[in-house]
Amino acid sequence: MLRWTRECRSVRSVSAGLRFLRAEPFAAGGGAIYATIVLVAIFADRLAPYPPKAILRVGARVARYLPMSSDHWLGTTSSGRDVLSQLIWGTRAALAVGLTAAVAVVAIGTVLGLLSGYLGGWVDRVITWFADIVLGLPFLPSMLVLASLTRPGTTVVIISVAGLLWPNTARVIRSQVLSLRERAWVEAARVTGCSTGRIMFVHVLPQVLPLAALYGSVAIGWAILAEASASFLGFGDPDMMSWGVMLQEAYANQALSRGAWNWFAPPGAALMAMVLAGFLISRGSEKLLFPKLADQ
Amino acid sequence: MSLLSVRDLVVTYATRAGPVRAVDGVNLDVPAGSITGLVGESGCGKSTLGRALMGVLPDAGRIAGGQIMFEGTDIAALSAPARRAIAWRRLSFIPQTAMNALDPVQRLRAQMLEVLIERGGLGKADALARASELFHLVGLDPIRLSDYPHQFSGGMRQRASIALALALEPALVIADEPVTALDVIVQRQVLDVMRNLQARLGLAMILVTHDIAVVAYACDRVAVMYAGRIVESGPVADVLENPLHPYTMGLTHAFPDLYGDDMTLVPIDGTPPSLLHPPAGCRFAARCPFVQPRCAEEPPVTDGDHHAACWRIDEAAELRALAAIPATWMPK
Amino acid sequence: MSDVRGGDGVRTAMTPLIKAIGLEKTFRTRGRDVAAVADVSLEVARGEALGIVGESGCGKTTTARMLLRLEDPSAGKIIFDGTDITTLRGAALLKFRAQAQLVFQNPFDALNPRFSIRRALAEPLNNFGVPIREHADRIDAVLHRVRLTPPAAWLDRRPHELSGGQLQRVVLARALIPGPTLIVADEPVSMLDVSVRAGILNLLREARDALGLAAVYISHDLALIRYVCERTMVMYLGQVVEEGPTKELIANPAHPYTRALVAAVPVPHVAQDRAQLPIRGSLSDAAAIGGCAFRGRCPHAMKICIELAPTLRTITPTRRVACHLEGTMS
Ligand SMILES: Nc1ncnc2c1ncn2[C@@H]1O[C@H](COP(=O)(O)OP(=O)(O)OP(=O)(O)O)[C@@H](O)[C@H]1O
Ligand SMILES: Nc1ncnc2c1ncn2[C@@H]1O[C@H](COP(=O)(O)OP(=O)(O)OP(=O)(O)O)[C@@H](O)[C@H]1O
Ligand code: SF4
Ligand SMILES: [Mg+2]
Ligand SMILES: [Mg+2]
Repeated sequence: MLRWTRECRSVRSVSAGLRFLRAEPFAAGGGAIYATIVLVAIFADRLAPYPPKAILRVGARVARYLPMSSDHWLGTTSSGRDVLSQLIWGTRAALAVGLTAAVAVVAIGTVLGLLSGYLGGWVDRVITWFADIVLGLPFLPSMLVLASLTRPGTTVVIISVAGLLWPNTARVIRSQVLSLRERAWVEAARVTGCSTGRIMFVHVLPQVLPLAALYGSVAIGWAILAEASASFLGFGDPDMMSWGVMLQEAYANQALSRGAWNWFAPPGAALMAMVLAGFLISRGSEKLLFPKLADQ
Repeated sequence: MSLLSVRDLVVTYATRAGPVRAVDGVNLDVPAGSITGLVGESGCGKSTLGRALMGVLPDAGRIAGGQIMFEGTDIAALSAPARRAIAWRRLSFIPQTAMNALDPVQRLRAQMLEVLIERGGLGKADALARASELFHLVGLDPIRLSDYPHQFSGGMRQRASIALALALEPALVIADEPVTALDVIVQRQVLDVMRNLQARLGLAMILVTHDIAVVAYACDRVAVMYAGRIVESGPVADVLENPLHPYTMGLTHAFPDLYGDDMTLVPIDGTPPSLLHPPAGCRFAARCPFVQPRCAEEPPVTDGDHHAACWRIDEAAELRALAAIPATWMPK
Repeated sequence: MSDVRGGDGVRTAMTPLIKAIGLEKTFRTRGRDVAAVADVSLEVARGEALGIVGESGCGKTTTARMLLRLEDPSAGKIIFDGTDITTLRGAALLKFRAQAQLVFQNPFDALNPRFSIRRALAEPLNNFGVPIREHADRIDAVLHRVRLTPPAAWLDRRPHELSGGQLQRVVLARALIPGPTLIVADEPVSMLDVSVRAGILNLLREARDALGLAAVYISHDLALIRYVCERTMVMYLGQVVEEGPTKELIANPAHPYTRALVAAVPVPHVAQDRAQLPIRGSLSDAAAIGGCAFRGRCPHAMKICIELAPTLRTITPTRRVACHLEGTMS
C-alpha cells in the first residue's frame, strides 16, 4: 500500500486547501464569514453611507435615536451618529486588533511549541510549566488586571491576548513537532550536518505552519471579542471606532432600557459572527488536526 | 473441481482521477486443501483481490465484472446478506495489518468468544472450549487467552489472528501478508503453523506475500500477479524451476539466495504501469527484455495448469537461458 | 580487546577505521530500564563490509545509531580513525558526520517532502562547508554514481514524484555526497519491491568497491547480508553471540542461535529443509537472568549455561562465538 499512501501525501497545498474547504462545510462557513469581514473592512470608506463620527442633524436638531429607515438602515445613536456606518468602520478596528493579536499568538505559540517539542528536556519542562500556568489564568480578569496596571489602549489588549492565548497554539505545535521529530528525514538532517536551529526552522517549521495558521485564524475571533470586552469595560481606546466602543456607548446611554436594539444588536451580532467563524474553522478542521479520527 | 475458481474478475476503485483497475481480468483456481501463494510487487492488486474474494472491499472499491465461483456458487452475484452468510462461515480473511487489528482493549478470550458465539452460534461453554482448542492449534498456550494483545509479541499476535480466522472452520483462508512484518524465526514458525493446519484440517489457503522464498517453503501452487493481472500460475515446483513468464524469470534472479553461488543479482529495470490507464497489450511489455511488436498491441492469452500470459511462451526455454545472463536485463 | 582478529589474512595488517569497545545502551522508559545493547565490541576496516543480523529488538539499530553518534552510549568507547569520538561535540562532531553516513530503511520517509532533489543533495555540502562552486559537479557525479541519469532530469523533482527504488538511490546519493569513509545501512531494501532491491544492493556494493568505504549493514535477512558482507556479527538480546566470515558462518554456524537463524531462512527452491527449528519459545518468554541469555530457548542448554554467562571466544583465527557448547560439540 506504499504507493497509495504516497499519492495521498503528495497532494499539493493550494488545490488541497480548496478541496478541503469543499469537503468541510463548517470550515468553509467560517472562512466565508472572515472573507466578508475582510472585504467590508477594505471597502469601509466606500460602503459606509456617513462618516462614523459625524453628528447628523435633521434640520437643526441632532438626529438622536432615529429608528431604522432607508436613510439610516440601522438607525442612529443617542448622539446622532449612523449605526451602520459605525458598524462598517468597526470592521477595520476589529481586523487590526484581530490580525495583530493572531499573528502574535501564532508567533509566540509556534516558536515555543517548536522549542519545547524539538529540544525536550528542561526547555520542554519549563515551557510546559509556564503554559499550564497561563492556561489556568482566567482570561478576562487577567486582561483587565494587565490593562489597569498600564495605560489602557489597543496595545494592552493585543499584548494580553497574545500573552494569554499562546499556550493553546504551543500545545498543538509541540505535539506535532514531537511526531515530526521521529520522522527519518529529520534524523537525516542531523546526519547530514544540520545544526539544531536549522533542523527546527528550516526542516520542521514549514511542516507545522499550516496548523499554526489554523490556530491563528481561531485566535482572530478571540482577540476581537477580547478587545470588545476591554472597550466595553472602559479599558479600550475610546478614540477607536470599534464594536466594543459601540456597545459601551449603547450601554452607557441605556439603549437597552430604551429598546434601541437597532443600536446594540448589530455590533453584538458582528462579534458573535467572528467568534462563530473561529469555532467553525476549528470544528471543521478536526479531521485535519486529528487525522486518525478520519482514517478508516 | 476447484474449491475456488475466479474468472475474469475486475475490481475498480473510484478515484478523483478516474477508476483505478486494481484487479483487471484475474483468473485463478484454488484446489481444496492446498496452499496457493499470491506474489507480486507493491500495488499490483494482491490485497484488492483478497478483499474482493472475501467481499470486504473498501467503500471506493467495487467488483466491476467477472465471477467468483466458490463451492459451486457465484458469490460475486449474490446479494450482500446472502454473501455474508457464506463468507463468514466458509471463508476467512486475515487482513494485511491483522497483527495490529486485534482490539487492544479486549482480552483475546473476549474477542474469540464474540466470533464464536455471535457468528458461530455456539453456547458459552462450547465457545470457551473451542477457543482453547484453537489457541492450541496455532501453538499458543490457552492460558494466554486472558491476555491483552499488547502482552503478545508480533508473532504471537499473528498466531492469535490466525486462530480467530479459523474460529468458524472455514474451507478457505485468505491471509494477506501474514509473515511480512515478522523476522525469520517467527516467520518460519508461523508458516509451519499454517502448513500444519492445512495438513490436519484439509484447509485451503491463499497466502499473499512478495517473497518467493516464502512461497517455495510453504505453498503448493503459486500465482504471480503483475499490474492487476495474474501473469503466471501453476504448481510451485514448475513455476519456480521452469518459469514461463519473463517477469517470473526476472524475479528469480533478483533475489539473494542463502546458498546460491556468487552471481550478481539483477534488478528488473523500470516500474509497473499505472492502473489508471493500463497498457493495451502485455502489462509487462515496458520492462520486458524480450518484448516484440505484437506484445504491446494485444494482451497475451493464457490457459492450462501451469500457464503464463506471454506471447513467447513457446520459446520459454530459450528465454530462460537468456534471462540468466545479467546483460539481458540491462536498461536499453 | 588485545587480540588482533581479522576477517582474512589481509585485514589483520590494517588498523580498523571504526572500533567499538564494550558498547552499552540502556533506555529509561517509565520506570523500566531496557538494556537495548548489553555489550558490543566490533571493528570495521576500510573497504570492509560488516553485517549485523539478529532477531527484531536485539539491538541492531541501537548499535548502529551509537556508531554514528546519533545515540549516546551508556558505556563503552568508539574509536574512529584513531580518535575517540564517544563524546565529540560541535565542530569536531560535524567533521565526524561528514565521514560517517547513514542509508535509511524507509526511502519514503527519509527525504524532506518539501525539498527538491537538488536541495536535498546540496544541503550536506553546505553544512560540511564545501564551496558552492563545487556543488553542481559533485551533485552531477553522485547522481551518475547512483544511476539517476541524466541528472538534470531529476534535480528539480520532489520526493513524491519518485518511486521507492528511485528514492532510495537519492538517499544513497545523499549519503555518498559528503565523501564519507564509513557507510551504515539499516535494512536498506526492506521497504522496496523485490524487483528493484537488487539494483540498490548492487549500487551499495559498487560504491564500496569504488570508494574503498567501510560499511556496516543491518538486516535480519541473512541471504541479503551474505550478498553484501564478507564478515557477519550475530546479535542476541543486545550481545554479540557469534562473529565470523559470512559464508563460513552460514555453512557451519557455531552458536545454537545462529543455527536456528540459518535454518529459518527460506530459500527460493521447492527442495529445502522443513525440519522443526532448533529453537524453543520466543524472544518475549526468554528473559533469562544470569547465565547465557539464550539458555531459555536453547535446545542444548546445560547446567553451566545457567550458572555462567559465556564470553566471546576465538575458535578459529577468524571466528568468535559466545557459547559453552563450543569445544564440547561441533
Ligand atoms: N481505497 C483505494 N482507493 C483507490 N485506490 C486504491 C485503494 N486501495 C488500493 N488502491 C490502489 O489499487 C492498487 C492495488 O492495491 P493493493 O492494495 O491491492 O495492492 P497490493 O498488491 O496489496 O500492494 P502491497 O504489496 O503494497 O500491499 C494500487 O495501485 C493502489 O494504489
Ligand atoms: N528510544 C528508545 N526508547 C526506549 N527503548 C528503545 C528505544 N529504542 C530502542 N528501544 C528498545 O531497545 C531494544 C533494541 O531496539 P533496536 O531498535 O536496536 O532493535 P533492532 O535489532 O534494530 O530491531 P528491528 O530488527 O526490529 O529493527 C528494543 O527492545 C527496543 O524496544
Ligand atoms: S508478451 Fe511480450 S512483453 Fe509480455 S512478457 Fe511476453 S515477451 Fe515480454
Ligand atoms: Mg497489500
Ligand atoms: Mg532496527
